[in-house]
Amino acid sequence: MTALDPAQSARPASLSALMGDGMSDEQGTSLWRGAFERLSRNPAAIIGTLIVLAFVLVAIFAPLLAPYEPAKSQWIDQVTPSDVPGPSPGHPLGLDPFGSDLLTQLIYGARQSLIIGVVSTAIGLLGGALLGGVAGAFGGRVDTFVMRLVDIMLSIPSLLLAVSVAAVMGPRPGAIMIAIAAAQVPVFARLLRGSMLAQRGQDYVLASFSLGLRRRTVVMSHVVPNSLGPVIVQATLTLATAIIEVAALSYLGLGASDPAIAEWGRMLVKAQDRLQTDPQLMLLPGLCIAVTALGFTLFGEALREALDPKSRR
Amino acid sequence: MTETRTDATLTRTGRRGSRGPVNRDEVLLEIKDLRVTFQRRGGPATAAVDGVSFSVKPGEIVGVVGESGSGKSVTSMAVMGLLPQRGSKVTGEVLYRGENLLTMGQRQLADLRGSELAMVFQDPMSSLNPVIPVGLQVTEVLRRHQDISREDARVEAEDLLRRCGIPDPRRRLSEYPHQLSGGMRQRALIAIALACKPALLICDEPTTALDVTIQAQVLELLKELVNDLGTAMVMITHDLGVVAGLCDSVNVMYAGRIVEAAGRRELFAHPRHRYTEGLLNSIPRLDAPRGEPLQPIPGTPRDTIAWSKACAFAPRCLHADDECVVGDLPLVQLGRVNHPVRCVHPAPEEEPHG
Amino acid sequence: MAEHDRSAALDSAAGPVRSLLSVRGLEVHFPIKQGLVFDRTVGHVRAVDGVDLEIPQGQTYGLVGESGCGKSTLGRAVLRLEEPTAGEVIFDGEDIAKLKAEPLRKMRRRMQMVFQDPLASLNPRQSVQSLLIEPLRVHGLAVADRAQFGADSSASHLAKVVSMLELVGLPRAALAKYPHEFSGGQRQRIGIARAMILNPDLVIADEPVSALDVSVQAQVINLLERLQDLLGLTYIVIAHDLAVVRHISDTIGVMYLGRLVEEAPSDALYERPLHPYTIALMSAIPIPDPVVEDRRERILLKGDLPSPANPPSGCRFHTRCPFRQPTRCDTDEPALRELTQVAPGRRVACHYAEEILSGEVRVRDADLLIEPVR
Repeated sequence: MTALDPAQSARPASLSALMGDGMSDEQGTSLWRGAFERLSRNPAAIIGTLIVLAFVLVAIFAPLLAPYEPAKSQWIDQVTPSDVPGPSPGHPLGLDPFGSDLLTQLIYGARQSLIIGVVSTAIGLLGGALLGGVAGAFGGRVDTFVMRLVDIMLSIPSLLLAVSVAAVMGPRPGAIMIAIAAAQVPVFARLLRGSMLAQRGQDYVLASFSLGLRRRTVVMSHVVPNSLGPVIVQATLTLATAIIEVAALSYLGLGASDPAIAEWGRMLVKAQDRLQTDPQLMLLPGLCIAVTALGFTLFGEALREALDPKSRR
Repeated sequence: MTETRTDATLTRTGRRGSRGPVNRDEVLLEIKDLRVTFQRRGGPATAAVDGVSFSVKPGEIVGVVGESGSGKSVTSMAVMGLLPQRGSKVTGEVLYRGENLLTMGQRQLADLRGSELAMVFQDPMSSLNPVIPVGLQVTEVLRRHQDISREDARVEAEDLLRRCGIPDPRRRLSEYPHQLSGGMRQRALIAIALACKPALLICDEPTTALDVTIQAQVLELLKELVNDLGTAMVMITHDLGVVAGLCDSVNVMYAGRIVEAAGRRELFAHPRHRYTEGLLNSIPRLDAPRGEPLQPIPGTPRDTIAWSKACAFAPRCLHADDECVVGDLPLVQLGRVNHPVRCVHPAPEEEPHG
Repeated sequence: MAEHDRSAALDSAAGPVRSLLSVRGLEVHFPIKQGLVFDRTVGHVRAVDGVDLEIPQGQTYGLVGESGCGKSTLGRAVLRLEEPTAGEVIFDGEDIAKLKAEPLRKMRRRMQMVFQDPLASLNPRQSVQSLLIEPLRVHGLAVADRAQFGADSSASHLAKVVSMLELVGLPRAALAKYPHEFSGGQRQRIGIARAMILNPDLVIADEPVSALDVSVQAQVINLLERLQDLLGLTYIVIAHDLAVVRHISDTIGVMYLGRLVEEAPSDALYERPLHPYTIALMSAIPIPDPVVEDRRERILLKGDLPSPANPPSGCRFHTRCPFRQPTRCDTDEPALRELTQVAPGRRVACHYAEEILSGEVRVRDADLLIEPVR
């Protein structure tokens, strides 16, 4: 086992050959790297990653992938109150109720969902991490004050909050982002604070103090890095719900009012009175929302499993 | 320990009437060539228990000693049929009164587990149901196995808790597990295990989480049980001190196999396997002269070789040489009676220990 | 045995040994809080409740007792990882309990701790190199090192880390690895290396071997002893295992419910425990030898440890004491006193210590006494 080990120096060659020579010289496996390796072996993670990747690529390269310009209503004359043209050679998925190409609308919709989902989650994460971090780092009265504030935020139903924000700011993308973010702030704050408190009780934090480390160093370079795991997982899962919420708020008419911007949630609204005659108008955007949310959820759950210390050997 | 005392106790408490007198020469549990392999998703199969055999008679305490990874706890789980179905494979025979528990139906086994076989685990908190009062957990078992009224069961439960050394048992009956201290919980767990008057009790590190003074109480209780009721017991522990005071015979396990088995006096007086010898030399003894450095076993229990290639202890053994690189070393009698050893270079017979 | 006594006598003949640490009247009380919105203090857990002890330079003081007796809290309060409620902790002439934050932080270099669970006490995201260099970086470079390595502190730090690893018996390859990649014994070596790398004077080891496999414990015990000889350390070893503590310590203090009930040189304590609690504790410890086990007389204690939030009146042990007498025990709290007449150099907190020693006072309840059986 070690250089000083009497057994090793005396160990016969035949035994050493069977054992290998103890500790390898290679680089150790850090927790992040170990988590990544577990992730890359998990089929759910791979499927989730593929879905998310596909979604992101579609969103970014929408102009290249889409066969037409979005929301131009070029074929409005083909749409009748009782019928929307289905798939045809020029339009693989047919048209939408406004006479635009349905495939083009779906592809540009990905863009909208991604931007709003990512930006709102980022705002929520930032705000929540700030509040939770302050509460977790200082503790005591600061903690009590911040957490009561968070409790108040939590007690307002998120949809109501979103509706009021949208009502104040008017129906535009920024309103949706802030509305969604506002609902996420308390979730992230509580999570990071709880995680930090749990880490602060650990022996290694006590050990850091006993070594004479400054409080700031202990919090920033020991407590915080070890508390981030659950927050990262939550952020991934929140992306899934954010995408659904974007759709939900648009469905309620609180999203962008500019019809030139394709958005999955609004596509649902426009399709609902044609559910009987042209179900694909509702099914396809619905499927896009579901699959994307599923992708983020799968990835997030796999990430949770990979980061969870209990699944570590 | 004597038959007369046992009989007197039996008559007095009226226990075990239906099962007839205890025949102390009958073999109650016989484990033959038990093997447990675990296979994790994508990983290679590893043998946690690798051909273990021993038997237990009524009124006998058989010790299984080993460190982490020795397979001692897996052995007990396999005997009780408590290993997860997925990912584990159990072969060999576990004969209880001649019937193989491993091939028995789930239902039949569950019946037997509640009535004749019982197990006490290391962690009492996770083995007790946290949302049910302790008393109800005891009476539940009593009523499942006897046709008695709720009131009678309560009286008997109270008696059981008292005999397990729980003060003020009437009050304790209505309390929840979290309201009891660790030692109290462990005694409550033993009371539940005893409620069905098991013929065989398997204890897996029952006192490891307890303080020494509480450990002494619990061990004394177990000893009484075996003496008074003729219960057979398998005691799984890492603590040689517990074994020395409690067990009739001892099996020392290392890396999934028994490396040495003997009666307790024989084992401690003449340890033959180099692992047993090393263990005894490495633990500080309360009664040993001070000032002498301990003689540790080098390495860790992780430094093993597969038994199929060589002696698994060889990497840590000070006496290992090329001869130890032999596949599947047998467990054989070497000179002394009833004292099999699995070792190429056992400690010399005459060398006095200590 | 006799030889050991002689060496102890020689030590004392060489003149009084300098006391490195003296603890006086130390108390650590934790408030019990209740309340939904605003926390209200409804009582105190008296984890440590008035402890006095002296530890001479270069010696090992063992603290034993069962869980909840306050031994770990006492250890942490000495390092001021817990804030003492009252009392003094005088380390090399300075009262640790009164130091301000920055001087305390500097003082920490000289007082280190080894923890029970080596995995929990090492940051899982730090490599061994980073774990061991961190304390050096925090406390800056020693002057001697600066002379040898010039301004290049990282080279000097690394050299020190490597030599420390070697000292605790780990290969250089360990540097790039993370705590979870080691076995329990190796992790504890890392924990010990980290505690020793700052050249401390006092090291407090809180259950240093109880989380380890039996066959590995001796390695760590021997390592601690070797490092003490090599580096001239003073130890406080806290453990529930009296056999381990006796092996490693010069003096042993036995704690019960926040107080020291007995203090004696290790050999004397085993030869003749004086406090009823020590007697019961000693008799409860299993000895790995059936011959001894069968001949031993045992004293069983009844019941459990009372709550430290509400300790019994009089002698704290009287509720479980097998030697309890009708008078004084439940009313007067016995002081920790030196038995100058019958057992000089030993301190006991029992009204009837002399009578128990002489055999006048015996175990009262026959049920509690387990005679040898076989």
